[in-house]
Amino acid sequence: MSNNILKFSMNRSTSVEKINATCLRSVCRLQDSFTDAEVAIEVKMPDLEIVAISGHLQHVYNDEVKNLDERLQKVIGIRVGSGMLKIIKGLMGEDKNLEQLVYMVEECCHGVILTLTKKVLLKAPDDEAGKFAFYSKMVKKNIRLYDRCAGFAKGTPLVAELEAEEGGEKA
Amino acid sequence: MMLEFMRNKLVDVARLNEDTLSIHGVLDDSIYNLELDFKVNINDLVCSAIEGRWLRWTTPQCPQALTFLKEADGFCLSEGIDNKIHKTVGRRACRHFANLFIECAYAARETVKLLHWQEAVENEPSLSFKDFLEKDSVGGIPAADVMEPVEPVKKPEPITSPVVSEKSSGGVSSVADASFIGNDGKSDSTGFVIDLHLHTSPASPCASSSVDAMIKEAKRIGLDGICLSDHNYVWSPDVVRDLRKKHDFLVLRANEIVTEQGDMLVYGFYEDVQGIIKLAELKKRVAAVGGFVVAAHPFRGFLTFGADDVGLTTEKAMAREMFKWVDGVETLNGKVTATENGLAQNVAKGLALTATGGSDAHDISTVGTYATTFEHEINSEEELLSALKEGKCRPVTFR
Ligand SMILES: [Zn+2]
Repeated sequence: MSNNILKFSMNRSTSVEKINATCLRSVCRLQDSFTDAEVAIEVKMPDLEIVAISGHLQHVYNDEVKNLDERLQKVIGIRVGSGMLKIIKGLMGEDKNLEQLVYMVEECCHGVILTLTKKVLLKAPDDEAGKFAFYSKMVKKNIRLYDRCAGFAKGTPLVAELEAEEGGEKA
Repeated sequence: MMLEFMRNKLVDVARLNEDTLSIHGVLDDSIYNLELDFKVNINDLVCSAIEGRWLRWTTPQCPQALTFLKEADGFCLSEGIDNKIHKTVGRRACRHFANLFIECAYAARETVKLLHWQEAVENEPSLSFKDFLEKDSVGGIPAADVMEPVEPVKKPEPITSPVVSEKSSGGVSSVADASFIGNDGKSDSTGFVIDLHLHTSPASPCASSSVDAMIKEAKRIGLDGICLSDHNYVWSPDVVRDLRKKHDFLVLRANEIVTEQGDMLVYGFYEDVQGIIKLAELKKRVAAVGGFVVAAHPFRGFLTFGADDVGLTTEKAMAREMFKWVDGVETLNGKVTATENGLAQNVAKGLALTATGGSDAHDISTVGTYATTFEHEINSEEELLSALKEGKCRPVTFR
């Protein structure tokens, strides 16, 4: 058995560029053994509203999405941020052959969030003590990060300061 | 053109032997670089031997995530597994590992479909991939072994008469003073205090404490009442009346409804709305029955990066479409940052909209962190509604 030859491969790439002073363009491209797809969104600052969207999808065994563009246009006006996924799904629909497209819209949005995250992370110091202080402060400022991953789990070093303050306040 | 950010994900699937696939995934972006390796049984899609590696990460604690990856060992990667991956790998380890794992699971499923078709073609050479999958709608893939919590039975029942509270007039007596209105976030709790926003399990799939536990906790910490605001869920008036009797405590109903412009808390509106409704349409329906719409946590997630980074000012925030349709704004919400609540306060003040507060608790530990205090005692949903409409309330830090 030729077990070093791949049965399936996929490659998904999301990139974000600034197209003008107030607009970001985020593009997600997918190529795998059965699929060739692309979704692009434009997001306006400051409220990160989706102002334009386009895309295409070709798939080996799924039926073609008939009104693909119409489905995509439904997300115009929604805001990139928490709670967006259920809104995107609700507006675009949850048909089986749309799943990939919905996921790619979501990936475009994540790209936008990560772009903004990157800007914040660039301010992190390089030394260990500085990093520790930077991320301790970050979780204090963004309570939603608390206990949402291993780095900020309950009872771990980066959240110790936050937990001490909360405990003192609420006891 | 200048690239600000790029994320590349690569997944390879090879067949290790008759029964086993080997999956290799790489996620490489401007911030992170991580890899996953694991095996998948072709017959049942169960994964094993998960190994992860970090090449680049952010916080000094990120490397700890690797030890939690093994919690996904034994998962059946059939469709519908994504949520479970988010909840285990995402929450316990790292959301970026979860993101890559979900891609790997997709690749595993697609590969198994292909392999099953290739087997079928040996007996039926003319069988196309598409026809094979249509005949065998899941492509030989086992059904999901993971079920999301079962939705409770929803019984929308229009309310016909105001529900009268069985509650004796205990609690804090009402105090009307000059500073009562427009004094957001002051940490005191005089007046009649109700947590206007909380969730219970199983009515809200994302909540973890039962309605009885939430009521007991609310009573214990000294709230005067709570308002059940489960997601797109209408509580039966009979059930709520029984709860009130059972606990001798004021329990009222609201509904947190998803619109294209975010979550809306509605009071005095008992229609069972499913899916996404346009805010304009919701407003029309709520207004038709004399209800009240409050924008829940209107800036949740807006200011994660600091208002300066995205340039959101109070003026720009006030101009948002959503504020044309709401009657009130939740300006103290327990799940958002102080800055996000602060912006909501400025907007409510600027637009002269009623401000409310609620914990948005999903379990007992956070019931009553924020609440709304009313000038007068509230005994029914009708009284709540008129107090909201008259603006005789303000948000408070309670717990
Ligand atoms: Zn809520």
